[in-house]
Amino acid sequence: MSGRRTAALPTPVALLFLLPAAALFGIFVLYPMATALTYSLFSWRGTAQEAFVGLDNFVALFTTEPYRSQLPRAFAHNALLFAGAMVVQNSVGLLLAYVLHRRERVRRLFQVLYTMPYLVSPLVVGYLWSLLLSPLFGPVNAVLRAVGLESVAQPWLGDPDTALWVVVLVTAWQWVGFPLLIYGAALGSLDPTMEEAAMLDGATSRQRFWHVTLPMLLPVIGTVSVLTFIFSMEAFPIPYALGGSNGSPAGATDVMSLLFYRTAFSSGASNAIGISSAVAIVLFVVIVGVSVLFTRWFRKVERGLT
Amino acid sequence: MNRRTTLAGVTTAAVALTLAACAPTSGSPEPGTAAGEGCDGDAVALDVWSWRTEDVKTYEQIFDVFEQANPCITVSFQAHLNTEYDQILRTGLTGSDGPDIAQVRSYGLLQPLVEGGNLEPLEDLVPALGDFDDAMLDGARGREDGAVYGVPLASQTIQVYYNTAIFEENGLEEPETWDDFMAINDELLGADVTPLAVGARDGWFVPTVHDALTAAQYGGADFQQALRDGDTDFTDPAYVDSIQTLKDLQEYMPEDVTGVAYTDAQVLFTSEQAAMFAGGSYELAFFQEANPDLDLGVFQVPPPPGSALDHPVTAGYADGSWGLSATTEHPREAETLLNWLATPEFGQLVADELKQFSPVPGVEYSDPLQQEMWDLYQENPAPYLLLVDYRYGDPVGTDLMGEAGQKLFLGDVDAEAAAQIVQDGLSAWWTPGE
Repeated sequence: MSGRRTAALPTPVALLFLLPAAALFGIFVLYPMATALTYSLFSWRGTAQEAFVGLDNFVALFTTEPYRSQLPRAFAHNALLFAGAMVVQNSVGLLLAYVLHRRERVRRLFQVLYTMPYLVSPLVVGYLWSLLLSPLFGPVNAVLRAVGLESVAQPWLGDPDTALWVVVLVTAWQWVGFPLLIYGAALGSLDPTMEEAAMLDGATSRQRFWHVTLPMLLPVIGTVSVLTFIFSMEAFPIPYALGGSNGSPAGATDVMSLLFYRTAFSSGASNAIGISSAVAIVLFVVIVGVSVLFTRWFRKVERGLT
Repeated sequence: MNRRTTLAGVTTAAVALTLAACAPTSGSPEPGTAAGEGCDGDAVALDVWSWRTEDVKTYEQIFDVFEQANPCITVSFQAHLNTEYDQILRTGLTGSDGPDIAQVRSYGLLQPLVEGGNLEPLEDLVPALGDFDDAMLDGARGREDGAVYGVPLASQTIQVYYNTAIFEENGLEEPETWDDFMAINDELLGADVTPLAVGARDGWFVPTVHDALTAAQYGGADFQQALRDGDTDFTDPAYVDSIQTLKDLQEYMPEDVTGVAYTDAQVLFTSEQAAMFAGGSYELAFFQEANPDLDLGVFQVPPPPGSALDHPVTAGYADGSWGLSATTEHPREAETLLNWLATPEFGQLVADELKQFSPVPGVEYSDPLQQEMWDLYQENPAPYLLLVDYRYGDPVGTDLMGEAGQKLFLGDVDAEAAAQIVQDGLSAWWTPGE
C-alpha cells in the first residue's frame, strides 16, 4: 500500500498545515536548545558572553567542587525517583487498570478519581503535601498518633532517610492516573479471544495475566517506562515544593533540575550561565541517550516474544 | 474555496498568530493619573521594574508624588513575580524592551548584571550617595571595580522578636545577660511553651537564626574583617563555638526541627504557641497582619561568656537597590528619578507606606518597634556575614550553612564538622584575605 493514496491531503497542503506548528516548535524548542548548547561552550561574565572555551565548562562540571559531588548525588536521586516511579506508580497503575478492566459501570468513575490529582499543578500538590506532612500541624502524623501508631509518626520531610521516598510517593499519588489510563486503553484494545482460549485450556486467572495479558501489554509497558524515565529525569516542581531549591534536608532531595536552577539563578558565580548550560546539556544527553537505547532494547525483547 | 485562497488564508492566519505572539501586553492604560499634565512639551515615560508585586499600588502612589514635582516625566511601574524576576530582568536589560530603572538584588546576585555591563555606575550621577552608610552601599557595589551601581532601597536587620504577653504571664523580662536568656528558655520550656520558633526545613532560614542568636559570639564585624584580611577562616574556634551554641539551643526549638518549615515557625509564633522568633525585620508586617492582637517586643541576644564581643549586636544587610540600565534611551530623566530615589522624601515614603527600613539618612519610623530595631542596629551593627560577603561564587555561604545546620540538627555532624562544611564549600571560590 502506498502512503500517497492513503494521505488525507496533497503533500503541499499538508506541509502548509504542518508549517505553523513546526515554526513554533523551532522558535520555542529547537532554538533555545541550540542556544543552550552554544552557551555551554563559552565562558561568561555575568550576562556577557566571553571566549569560546570548548568543553571546559563540562570538564569543570565533573572535576571541580561543588559540582563534582553534587552532580552524581543529584543524578542518583533522579535514578531513585525513576526506580520508585516504576515500582510504585506504574505497577499500581497497571494493577488498577487490570482491576477496572471490563467493569464498565465503575471504570469511568475510578478513572476520573485517580486522574484528578493530575489536573492540579504539581507545585500546588507539593505544597499541599508539605502541609499535610508537617510534624507540627500536619494531619498525617496526627492521624497516626490518634490510631496508636505513635512510633510510625515521623518528621517525613525532615529526615534524609524518608524525604526522597516522600517525593516518590507524592509523585506517584499525582501521576498514577497516567499509567492507569494508558494501560486501561491498551487492555481495552487487546483481542479478548486470546484470553478466552487460555481460559478454555484451563489457565487460572493468575496464569492468564502473567502468560497472556502481560506479554501482549509489553509494547505499552515500554512506552510508559520511557515516558516515566523522562519525567523522572526532569522532575522539578514536586522536589522544589517539598525540599526547596537546595533539596532539603541536607541535600537529600536534590535532583538535576534543582542543581541547574541553583547554578543558573541563585549562585554568585561569574560563569553561572556557562556551567548551568552544561548541566542542562548533560541532562539532555542522558535523557535522549538512555531513551533511545532503552527503546531499541525493548524492541528487541518484543521481537523475541513474537 | 480553491487551493489558492486556502493558502492565502492560512498564511495570513499564521502571520497574525506570529505577530500576536510577539506583541507586548500593552493594552492596559498607563498607571498613575498625572501622566504628562502640566508639561509643556512631550512627557517622557520611564519604565521602572520591581519584584514587589505586592506593593504595586503603593509604589504607584509614591511615584505620583514624583510625577507632580516633575510633570514632564511619567513613571510606568511594572512588577514581576519575585521568583522569576532575576531571569526576566537579565533578559530585559540585555534586550531592547528592558526597563530604564530597575530594582536590583544586592551583593553577589548583583554581580551578573555589573559584569555583563548592564548597569551604569552611579556615584557621579547621584551625589547624595556620598551621605549613605558605607555598609549599605557595599550591597550595591561591583565586586571588581568597587563602584556603586544602585541607590540603596531597603535594608533588613536580624534580631529576636518576643511575645510580650507570654513573657508577662511567666514573669519574664528582656534578657540582659546570656544567663538571663538561658533562664528564659528553661522557664518557658517548663511552662510548656516552645521557647524558640525555628523551622530548619528551609535551608535559607538556618543562617538567619544562627546570626540572630550568635553573631556577637563569633565577633560580628571584627570576624568579617579578620576573614577579609586573611587572618582566619570559618574553622576559627570562635565560629565553631557559635555553631555549638546553635546546637545547644536546639532543645528549645520545636521537636524534629529539620522537618519544621519556615512558615510553620511563623505560624507557631503568630498563634502564640511559641514565645520567641529569631528573624528578619521583614517579618514585622507579616506578624502584625497575621495576628493584630500580638504584643511584640524585640531584643538582641546577649553574648555567652567567652564570646569574641562583650556586647550584643544586630546583624543587618542591604536588601536591593535601584539600578540604571546602561541602554536607557532617557538618561537625563532617569538621572532625575534616581536622584529623587536618594532623597529623604522618598526614604520616608518607603518607611511610612512600604513599612521598610530605608537606608536614606535621616528617615524616622512611626512604628515604635520598627524604630527600636533600627536604633539597635545603629548602636551595634554587624553584617549578616554569609549573605554580605559570601554570595560571590558557587556554592553561596548561606546555602552551605543551611545544609551544615541541617546536618548539625540531625546529629550527623558536630559543630566543628559543620564549620568545616562551610569552609570547604567556600574554598571552591574563596581564599581568606582575597
